[in-house]
Amino acid sequence: MASVTFRDVVKKFGSFTAVHDFNLEIRDKEFLVLLGPSGCGKTTTMRMVAGLEEATSGDIYIDADRINDVLPKYRDVAMVFQSYALYPHLSVEDNIGYPLKIRKVPPEEYKRRITEVARRVELDTMLKRLPKELSGGQRQRVALARAIVRTPRVFLMDEPLSNLDAKLRTQMRAELKHLQHELQVTTIYVTHDQIEAMTLAHRVAVMNRGVIEQLGTPREIYNDPRTLFVAGFIGSPAMNLIPGEVKDGVFASAGLRVGGAGHVSIPRAVLGVRPEDVHVANAEDQDVNLVAPIYSVELTGENTLVSLQLGGRLMTLRADKNFAGQIDQRVGVKIETDRIFLFDAETERRVDF
Amino acid sequence: MATRAWHRTREAIFRMLAYAVMAIALFITTFPVYWLATNSFKLDIDIFAVPPVWFEFSPTLKHYEAAFIGQPFLIYALNSLIIAVATTIVSLIFGTMAGYALARFHYPGRWRYQISFWILSTRMMPPIVTIIPLFIFFNFFNLLNTRLAVVVAYTAFNLPFVTWMMKSYFQDLPPELEEAAMVDGDTRWGAFVRVALPLARPGIVATAIFSLILAWNEFLLALILTQTDRSMTLPVGISGRVTQYTTHWGEISAAGFLASLPIIIFALIVQRHLVRGMSFGAVKG
Repeated sequence: MASVTFRDVVKKFGSFTAVHDFNLEIRDKEFLVLLGPSGCGKTTTMRMVAGLEEATSGDIYIDADRINDVLPKYRDVAMVFQSYALYPHLSVEDNIGYPLKIRKVPPEEYKRRITEVARRVELDTMLKRLPKELSGGQRQRVALARAIVRTPRVFLMDEPLSNLDAKLRTQMRAELKHLQHELQVTTIYVTHDQIEAMTLAHRVAVMNRGVIEQLGTPREIYNDPRTLFVAGFIGSPAMNLIPGEVKDGVFASAGLRVGGAGHVSIPRAVLGVRPEDVHVANAEDQDVNLVAPIYSVELTGENTLVSLQLGGRLMTLRADKNFAGQIDQRVGVKIETDRIFLFDAETERRVDF
Repeated sequence: MATRAWHRTREAIFRMLAYAVMAIALFITTFPVYWLATNSFKLDIDIFAVPPVWFEFSPTLKHYEAAFIGQPFLIYALNSLIIAVATTIVSLIFGTMAGYALARFHYPGRWRYQISFWILSTRMMPPIVTIIPLFIFFNFFNLLNTRLAVVVAYTAFNLPFVTWMMKSYFQDLPPELEEAAMVDGDTRWGAFVRVALPLARPGIVATAIFSLILAWNEFLLALILTQTDRSMTLPVGISGRVTQYTTHWGEISAAGFLASLPIIIFALIVQRHLVRGMSFGAVKG
């Protein structure tokens, strides 16, 4: 049961600033995901909570305790590493039991807790094996079991699923979510995979270049991106971002006109619209926003991704799975005007209308 | 025209050349051992025979008796053993810790490099340069002609080497393992003892072997620091059989052969480690 608070935290490596004036409060029992591209400072932020990196300035609290100068062993956090960091010379049982052995847990309880945890992650038949005799998914479970064998104040997970194949990742994702719900332990989870962030998090902090771009629930982050970076980073396929100009509420770019943005004017603007909010229409219709040739058609199974050539760039839309258009065919496009976002290209911030 | 047959012949010639070179190298390295071994079993008259007697001599243990019963070579061997083992243990205790510290901790600026280089630089001067200062030093502490003096001197010379070797081994280990241990509730020291050390075991074994061989074979320092039977090592004792009027080749061969035997057997057993020890750093320095 614990909250984690960052106050004005800065981390520098030499002259490079990895984390800038970082302020964040992670609530008790919350599943918070730090999401961002590689090198954005998300892992550094987590390592500062674990005590593996020292903050250059600022304060980090777990509950009311300032932990900046506390050794990792006294912080009572558990961490799952991207590489799993299993002790290669110890059996599965000794790996899971390591945190208990250090704490000198009495033998009966040691045995009981390992059996219980091993059963929970379905490793109870492999306790005598060495890590090298396990598959990737099993190793991942050992790492997880080592974290949950004691009840820490905070779980830290550094891209724990990134080394698994796609199918296993989806399965483990569901298990992680269930586990966190069951254990009710505050969790900080680092990933660059926006699907993981969306599916797991109570709240997501999107990071870029050492700062939080936006903090919110997955729904807020998806439906209400506050910056150009968040808009482009969240969603698969990515949001269409088209540069142009807004005059009195009408966005105009090469061949494309979209109205309905109140009365704002932005000289250098970026229009953002998600693929699912763009629809194919008859090229002869009067009210289409755009007529453009098809560049490619990709059937994903549940629907069809259609890319259109628009000026020098592509615009992606999600069409019905029965879409029958051909490459180079010219089609009309209708954009849901109440689902568009406008960004100022100078500040990279959203402009409300 | 380069035909297939020509290629095959050329390959055969190359292979024959390679074998010839290896045969010469093998001869150069094994002949002294053979000569040492056979001389130790020959009578004096056969040792000095011209042309040399290669195989047909009547073997005798007379020189072994002279060396190990008539002369105190057993004591020298014991001294060598104690000194080599003690040197290795002390060098390893300090060297692994120093190597770990150099491999893992943060140093401001280029200090990691500077400190490592300073440590190594003590190996750059020839040992003979330090002999007179060392002699005066041990004399001052009344430690001349003790095994302790030799152990201290050898440790000083082996430590940089052990430190560098262990540093390389620790650098090859992923730091996350020790980080995981610390987050799991261990101290840095606990992570070192329980995680890093067991994983560096092959490195420790290889380093220990190098250190043992160096200490066992060393001659110059031991010659200056020890002059009594109670402290002398095997190499010094053997050289002592070159006397003013005669050189006791038989005794020298007997003692020399028995002195090199443990090292040869040792090296054969741990070949694998030696190769790893010599080639590590080739990929990642």
